[in-house]
Amino acid sequence: MLNFIRTSPKWVLLLTVVILMSAGGGCKSKKKAMEAEAAANKAKMEQEAALKKQKEEEELRRKAAAEAEENARREAEANARKTEPYSKLEQYFNAIGGAGSVASANSSINEALTLFTSADAPVLIVISESGGQKDYDRPTTIKDYLNYLKDQKKRADKIGNLQFDSSGKITEVELIKQK
Amino acid sequence: MVKYRYLFALLVSLFIAGNVSAQKDEISPERKQAIDSLALEKVRDLSKYIAIIGNKKTPFSEASRVMDRAEELFAPDSEMGVSSLNRKEVNYYKVRKYFERLMALNYDRVTISWYDIHYISDLERQPDGKYVGVVTIYQKFEGVSDDGMKYKDTTKKDITIYVERKKTQIQGRTIEFWDVMLGDIRVTETSA
Repeated sequence: MLNFIRTSPKWVLLLTVVILMSAGGGCKSKKKAMEAEAAANKAKMEQEAALKKQKEEEELRRKAAAEAEENARREAEANARKTEPYSKLEQYFNAIGGAGSVASANSSINEALTLFTSADAPVLIVISESGGQKDYDRPTTIKDYLNYLKDQKKRADKIGNLQFDSSGKITEVELIKQK
Repeated sequence: MVKYRYLFALLVSLFIAGNVSAQKDEISPERKQAIDSLALEKVRDLSKYIAIIGNKKTPFSEASRVMDRAEELFAPDSEMGVSSLNRKEVNYYKVRKYFERLMALNYDRVTISWYDIHYISDLERQPDGKYVGVVTIYQKFEGVSDDGMKYKDTTKKDITIYVERKKTQIQGRTIEFWDVMLGDIRVTETSA
């Protein structure tokens, strides 16, 4: 190598130096380019992963929202199923107590009785309650109570509790005497 | 002396035991109030039933059913006093008989109303545990016939009220309830 330097004309050496320098610079650029490409790839992968994660999170949120909505709907339906007989019975009570004629009251009584397992379903009327102890009036049956509303034309007592059989018919009524 | 001490101690014990037992049977003023109101409500219910039975427009089947319901308000063998401006004596009938006579009255229109319903003797607990009281009512009666015959009077009546704690079985459960029963209804005044 030293021999080549000694024997070569200056311009050759200069040319060689220029070639070597340019070759060295090219290597560096290539490395830099590779590094840049790697960094870009890494950034792209990271971006993709973040996007994927974001999508997954969004999907989870969407699922949770849909589930909550479904639960709320089911709950509302269950509540409606539970309260429906209460409001229906209350409507019948009002219709019977406020009927304009015996025929109209009797028609409402017959309709109301279809909500019950039997016309003899017991009706308990709470007249007072203190310290967890309930005082009741003499128990009656739903048929007699509905006729009582018809005869007395009075506002029904408040519905406290209803009990149902497996088919959803009312088996027992607890009323709370209005003061 | 020792003998007297034992006797004294025994008497004191009996007194305390009796007091405790009496307190146990006492009911709170709120519960008593609810029972008082319940009894008055039964009297008002009877008033309405009597108006329905007496009303000539009430169909026979309805009147019969209402008679059954009205009869259930009474203690067995209770009697109802009936007076008239045309005679001095008061006649007493078993309540069922009274209702049947009321339904068969020889008028074309009958109006009966009760008012000023109030206790004249509060419900008081008796030694047997029952509560007994007396409620007074005023009854306005008016009967009119198509031929123009008309009779009307106002009668003051006293109703004895019995309230008893009872038990019954409802769907396998024991339910304790207050049973209000009306007793005899006595006429105390009759005026035009």
